[in-house]
Amino acid sequence: MLGKLIKHETRATSRIFLPLYGALLILTIFTKLALALGAPDFFSDNVATNPVIEVVLGISFTLYFIAVVALSVMTLVMIIQRFYKNLFTDEGYLMFSLPVKTWELVLSKLLVGLIWSAVCTLMIVISFFILSLGSFTMMDLTQGISMAYTEFYSTFGTSLNVLIFEIMMLIVVSTISSILMIYVSIAIGQLFNQHRIVASFGAYIVITIALQIIGSILMAIFALGNLDAVISQGQDGEAMQMIHLLINGSTLCNVILCVGFYFATQYIMKNRLNLE
Amino acid sequence: MKWYIDSDRPIYKQLVEQIELRIISGVYTPGDKLESVREMAMDAGVNPNTMQKALAELERMELVFAQRTSGRFITEDLKVIEEAKKNLAVQEIGAFLEKMKKLGMGRNEILALMEKIEEGEKEDDHIKH
Amino acid sequence: MTILSTKNLTKTYGKKTALSQINIEIPRGRIIGLLGPNGSGKSTFIKLAAGLLVPTDGEIIIAGEAPGVDTKAKVSYLSERTYLNDWMRVSEIIAFFEDFYEDFNRIKAENMLKDLNINPDDRLKTMSKGTKEKVQLILVMSRQAQLYLLDEPIGGVDPAARDYILNTIITNYKEDAAVIISTHLIADIEQILDDIIFINQGELVMSSSVDEIREAHNKSVDGLFREVFKC
Repeated sequence: MLGKLIKHETRATSRIFLPLYGALLILTIFTKLALALGAPDFFSDNVATNPVIEVVLGISFTLYFIAVVALSVMTLVMIIQRFYKNLFTDEGYLMFSLPVKTWELVLSKLLVGLIWSAVCTLMIVISFFILSLGSFTMMDLTQGISMAYTEFYSTFGTSLNVLIFEIMMLIVVSTISSILMIYVSIAIGQLFNQHRIVASFGAYIVITIALQIIGSILMAIFALGNLDAVISQGQDGEAMQMIHLLINGSTLCNVILCVGFYFATQYIMKNRLNLE
Repeated sequence: MKWYIDSDRPIYKQLVEQIELRIISGVYTPGDKLESVREMAMDAGVNPNTMQKALAELERMELVFAQRTSGRFITEDLKVIEEAKKNLAVQEIGAFLEKMKKLGMGRNEILALMEKIEEGEKEDDHIKH
Repeated sequence: MTILSTKNLTKTYGKKTALSQINIEIPRGRIIGLLGPNGSGKSTFIKLAAGLLVPTDGEIIIAGEAPGVDTKAKVSYLSERTYLNDWMRVSEIIAFFEDFYEDFNRIKAENMLKDLNINPDDRLKTMSKGTKEKVQLILVMSRQAQLYLLDEPIGGVDPAARDYILNTIITNYKEDAAVIISTHLIADIEQILDDIIFINQGELVMSSSVDEIREAHNKSVDGLFREVFKC
């Protein structure tokens, strides 16, 4: 059943995202062509070009940035809207009478939301890459990367891969926890008989503030507050240790949040559901 | 077929009456096979359970009998049908006389009026032809 | 054989009591009318049976189990609301139902759509409210469920479609299934009901068969209802 929910969820969201991604790609390619044809040295020198080209490029870039922002915003909006509209408005009557478990409903939306977030980021990165093609060669790129690795190793004695891996973990886990934080806020809003949307926003704000406070306390406890001082004092080894601690600590905290938010959401949906 | 269903009386009783009437008046001939309960219920716009109840009652009245695998049939026993016809007629006449009593009409008045009406009907037939 | 039974079923929202100590048994093979004024608790009862609400106290048992994934597979629920995704086509929602419900009969659904002149390629958002309700009803009735819960199935529908719907309920009749119809339009459906359950202010007022009521009171259920709940 989970697979079917995911399939349906993907179908419901694709119809919004695919056109947007298409638009982004078209704008990217258009901008790139305009650059290539009209201002091939755009990224290297500030050579004055034909004013017509400048206007076209100006418009093109503006549209491009709007597309990037729209895509990011849309991804967030979709995550919120799919959860709220599909489960807690009239459509909820259908979804909750399906022979599926509550956790399958939550997980299907979470996974699809996560995937779209990843795709969104990927698309933006790809489009940046397309735009900057030609301003550096593949040689430049590979040289730059291996230089980073060797420098890192000589300074810290460990491979850069470890740090990259830890950062990726943090990004994934914190994305999941932010999605779940949205879900649990919506679910908490459902506990009220009136003004449910306001209550959801309220819950979100309260949780955010609570997390900030707890975060600061934890930072103090683990003496991570003076990281910048340690760095400026040139204590690279110590600084890197603190960075690892900070990253992995955050990851761990996010995992705890994920579990907490998930079970809270599940509990409310299973036991306190009250569709209007 | 048209079914006349009143909202104030149990439906199954009304179904029994109307089917009985059709048997007596020959709409259903003796030995006829009845449609399935479901089809009859659909036709009348009633719950199959209700139609089932009506048919069970008709079986009890021996106007209808069921053969396990082949379905339900109108009885071929003409005596039973005659009996039912008489009973129904007695009922109708009884109700009619009650009403007439309320109008204050006596037996002779009723008979005289009946003959007059029958005469009138015969004349109408003549005129038409 | 009982398909649904409740024992002291109670549902409260804070201080408000929607249902209180309901005890009923619903046998298979019956068509039951769940009647009562607005706000009487009818919808609450249906939602509890559909597994959309959790009882505050007491229990509700469907085919031997408490409401959950298994019972939802056996229960076909028609909500009062339009619960279909607007952006979908009719054909897509049929595929959806087929996907999630093993007992869904696609051929039946397609035939009913044809009978009511509904084009499967149409998008739901282009349809009138009445047509959407018909689509919903078709989907619900195309399932071979053990319990059908119909919340106001003929409310917003024209008289011709109303007859079609009542006819569909009769034709769909199965000896091992029960149909619970919650409505305030008693006169229109009384003819197809076996039994009725009157609920008022969260309490069970009467539970009887239509025949018994007509025999005992010499009036239709609709007539009795008007008398009992006279304003």
